[in-house]
Amino acid sequence: MDETVAEYIRRTVLKIPRDEIKMMLQKWGFLSEAQLQTLNFHQIKDNISQEVVQLCEENSADIKQAAVLDIIYNHIHQNKRMWSVYQMKKSGEELEYFDITDFKKKFKRKLQSALKNVTITFKEYEDNAIWIRVAWGTPYKKPNQYKPSYVVYHSQTPYVFISASVLKSNLPLLCQALIVASNYHDIREMELRSHSLNSLKDIVFKSYSQNFQTYCPKLRQGGNGEPESVFSPATDIRIVQENSSEKERIHRLNEEVFGCGPQPKLEFAQYKLETMFKSDPKMGVLDKKEPFRCLVKFSSPHLLESLKSLALAGMADAPLSPLLTCIPHKARNYFKIREKKGSFPESFVSP
Amino acid sequence: ENVDPQKTAFVLRKAWTLYSVTPLYRFHRARLRDYARLLGAFIAAEKQKGLAVEVGVELDIKVALSSLAELRGSEQDQAALLVQLSMRSRASSRNSEDKLVWSGWFCSVYGDDLSENMPKDFTCLPLFLTHGAESYTSMVGSWFQKTFDCCFCRLAISPLNLSWMVAMWAGCKADRAASAVELVFSVPRLPQPLNISYAIHPEDAKALWDTVQKTPGEITQEEVDVFMDCLYAHFHRHFKIHLSAAKLVKVSTEVASAHCDGIVKILHSQYLPGVLMLLTELAISQIQ
Repeated sequence: MDETVAEYIRRTVLKIPRDEIKMMLQKWGFLSEAQLQTLNFHQIKDNISQEVVQLCEENSADIKQAAVLDIIYNHIHQNKRMWSVYQMKKSGEELEYFDITDFKKKFKRKLQSALKNVTITFKEYEDNAIWIRVAWGTPYKKPNQYKPSYVVYHSQTPYVFISASVLKSNLPLLCQALIVASNYHDIREMELRSHSLNSLKDIVFKSYSQNFQTYCPKLRQGGNGEPESVFSPATDIRIVQENSSEKERIHRLNEEVFGCGPQPKLEFAQYKLETMFKSDPKMGVLDKKEPFRCLVKFSSPHLLESLKSLALAGMADAPLSPLLTCIPHKARNYFKIREKKGSFPESFVSP
Repeated sequence: ENVDPQKTAFVLRKAWTLYSVTPLYRFHRARLRDYARLLGAFIAAEKQKGLAVEVGVELDIKVALSSLAELRGSEQDQAALLVQLSMRSRASSRNSEDKLVWSGWFCSVYGDDLSENMPKDFTCLPLFLTHGAESYTSMVGSWFQKTFDCCFCRLAISPLNLSWMVAMWAGCKADRAASAVELVFSVPRLPQPLNISYAIHPEDAKALWDTVQKTPGEITQEEVDVFMDCLYAHFHRHFKIHLSAAKLVKVSTEVASAHCDGIVKILHSQYLPGVLMLLTELAISQIQ
């Protein structure tokens, strides 16, 4: 077995949390049950990985098989990577029958004709997701297995999720190969990025929007008929009637805008503002004809839930600004905001 | 005021953790080498006690103490005191250079408020800045506390002071490749915490400040408030969020950046005296 393959397998196993190693090796299926039985999973990971490499040596593993193990690891730990969303466009309306073999063949052919040194691996999952791993080389160097790109493609949709490696120069070629293989004619990057692959899928596949149609249950009623505080299960007796009806109003507005179900999990939203600075003329401050250029970035472990709670916390007006609430609808978390020409100062256009 | 850039270069582009220090009792400039020796012995003893920083490797810590006359505001200020800890691994060859592992310096820039009526036995150097492992900071601090009967306290920077800093620094002359004026806010007490970074183009921030500031060379609280209110209003117009209710935790400009936990980074020597003067003032008000 090639020593670079051995080293790659060793490092891949080392990455895996100890209590997941057995499961991943089983999913991999490259080592037999009998071989797996011989492994001692109670020693330090260094030793476990050495033993795995030895077993792989017995089976003469090559880089292709090692790459499958890498896909398995990244599929389970997909949220460690940053994913971008791309949308493909077809010229015609016809729904073509998707042939996976044809797809793989065309994809490989396109990449390999441009770049001889490239490792391409496919794995299909039950939810119709095709995972593609590409390790990139140059005409003179073998592929770098430690910085591959990952692509997730659901064949009945025009969306592709890409976690590019640091080597961004290969992106155009990757995109080319995707449209050729899937019989689309164009591909564009959407302004939508997140670590949570499932949330990105939720947003673009619009599965979240069904929440808008479902009946939103009324605010829970507390023991004495007062609406319950969202932050505590028991009725908050410190809240007087006017504040609680305000809370109820905010809650209702939130539901109208965000829906009742859980929000897709995004970690950030970025706004490039190129709007005018407007102030009370009495203040005697800046009154330029040029835009007041800003870059605003919101970040949170769960951004949409966080924004949803701002009005209730007294930090924001309700309803929240459409610039924030449009994130799932518009399927983007990167925005450029310019002043709309010749209309209300309060309206914005986002190209 | 003419600060030799060479001598003060070590200050720039490093993140310094800030402390306020009460006056040192019976500190003698002439005894710096003695102090260095004693501090070195103290650190060696601490490491033997098992409070070692590195495990398994034999390391010598060398201590150097020096005075920096350049780092002060007026003649009334004490010259700054620099403490440097270097490491030379016994395992490496004789030719290997010492590696600087920790530095800390005491200073006072226009610290008259404190030093004015101070008895002769006391040396006022209210601001202490450190760069390096916390364990070394702790050891150096302990030794100074024991030896000079002084008291160290982390210098937190309030949102009020941070807004002063950002207003002041935003008005500084912008370089050709100036970085944005950035304010970072945190809203921790939500079910899911939120961080907001609000970065303004340096030219636009300066233009705004220039129209707010009425008297050149002088800054009033009211002017800082107006500047901040303008920024909050612009933000609210777009996002309907009251930034004033969030906690300002960090400000960053081309001149310097400061974090509420008491960490600063100074990027231009031109503004070094100004920044140190402000920090000295903060240190003194924490002591008093």
